[in-house]
Amino acid sequence: MGKVDLSFSPVVPVFDANVALGRRHDRRLTADTVDAALNEMRRAGVDRALAHSAHSAAFDARDGNDWLLEALEGVEEFVPQLVCSPAVDDLARLQDEVDGQSVGSIRMLPSTGGYPFRTWVVGHWLEWLAQTGLPLWLPASEIEPGELHDTLREHPTLSVVLCEVHYVHVPWIFPMLRSLPNVHVEISRFVIPDGIHRLIDAAGHRRVLFGSRFPDSPISPQLYSLHRSGLDYSTLADICSGNLDRLLYRR
Amino acid sequence: METPVIDFHCHVGRWGRYGMDDDPADYLRLMDAAGVDRACINCINFGDARRGNDRVARFVAQRPDRFVGVAYVTPRYPDEALAELDRCFDVLGFRSLKLYPDYLGKPIDDPAYDAVFEWADDRSVVIMSHSSYVHDDDWLTRPDRFVGLAQRYGKISWVLAHSGNARQGQEQAVTAARACPNVYLETCTSMGEHDTIEFLVDGAGEDRVLYGSDMPLMDPRLQVGRVVTADISHDAKLKILGLNAIELLGLDQPTSTG
Repeated sequence: MGKVDLSFSPVVPVFDANVALGRRHDRRLTADTVDAALNEMRRAGVDRALAHSAHSAAFDARDGNDWLLEALEGVEEFVPQLVCSPAVDDLARLQDEVDGQSVGSIRMLPSTGGYPFRTWVVGHWLEWLAQTGLPLWLPASEIEPGELHDTLREHPTLSVVLCEVHYVHVPWIFPMLRSLPNVHVEISRFVIPDGIHRLIDAAGHRRVLFGSRFPDSPISPQLYSLHRSGLDYSTLADICSGNLDRLLYRR
Repeated sequence: METPVIDFHCHVGRWGRYGMDDDPADYLRLMDAAGVDRACINCINFGDARRGNDRVARFVAQRPDRFVGVAYVTPRYPDEALAELDRCFDVLGFRSLKLYPDYLGKPIDDPAYDAVFEWADDRSVVIMSHSSYVHDDDWLTRPDRFVGLAQRYGKISWVLAHSGNARQGQEQAVTAARACPNVYLETCTSMGEHDTIEFLVDGAGEDRVLYGSDMPLMDPRLQVGRVVTADISHDAKLKILGLNAIELLGLDQPTSTG
């Protein structure tokens, strides 16, 4: 008979590297408020989460960022992540927002934003991120891998988290991780068999981050899978929280 | 805890671009790691369906206690399909049929499938088909297309693989299950929102939801995790993980893993 854990909860601290907050235009979510997200996090045994505004990602970065910072004021479980669109946004304004808030990372969505991830568009933004030690989150489906590799190779001190990596990205994700030591990977959509071990083999466990992509994916299944992957406590703890802590708070 | 876990949606065959391999030892290791007793395996990779079905048969022959054979046929070769179905069910001992209309480029309710459905209806066979409705171009296996089929071929048990994938597809899948008592919903996806399992159980009932993983394209630990961590009852989890599949396919209760 199959052995499963019907009352699973994680045994290590968990800091979720990928949560989106707020209402959507295209549908009504069952978890569309900060409190609803917190409830799901508590049910899943997640202590903290890095959160961006869904509105920022889908519609307008600045309006979404403003909402996010208001919504998360005084909510200690969330660390805000600001979205920017370098082709149209004001870098000085974003720098002011970062300085005035507990913002430790930035997210770009080149495909949704309609801009190439090329140095002539994003170069000075990436230079600023590298100088200040702010890591950059990039969803894998938002980027053309050739552009990504060419551009990041010019910014070797910038820390990048490639998030929402899916099995369709298998043809390039492993060579990318081997080629660019400043690229980390977030695993919310990485569902291939032994995916965690394959990533660890390619990049080392300190470049692998647990994220859920909540509410577009459930929080717990990848945690459950991590706990059944034969990882030692230290490795599990690094993937579930330690690596993200180091990325965000090393400055 | 120990409970029967039947993976209703598994493949054999390689798909190198996505890192998919079907080495039998790795397959069994993954099943053990996830707590899966038996995997229902099909091979849809070859245009020559017989070649794929023979590959399935070799897996089943190695470990009949762990693998359940699932047939595949393609309406691109209608002169071969029914004879191959006879061979799969009468000679090889397969228990159900998998269809993948995306290869045909025509919808699941295209007349090209009629002969297969009539054969399956005569035998009260279980058919699992890919089902997906992620965006408007993703229409070949939109779950609402199964309603007419399930009503027309009422002795077939229709399993909607992926339950439509995204929420708009899941909504149609639930509607189909409510309209047709012979429609079942299978759980695996790489897309589903956080409350997908809860949504399927609320909509279709806990007796008509089946655990599947899409192994070895996807890791069964994560897909089992979607069921065991869902906010549903203990009994519902046991049914989805294996009890429903045992009843639907008429399988023996597994006694041990490995």
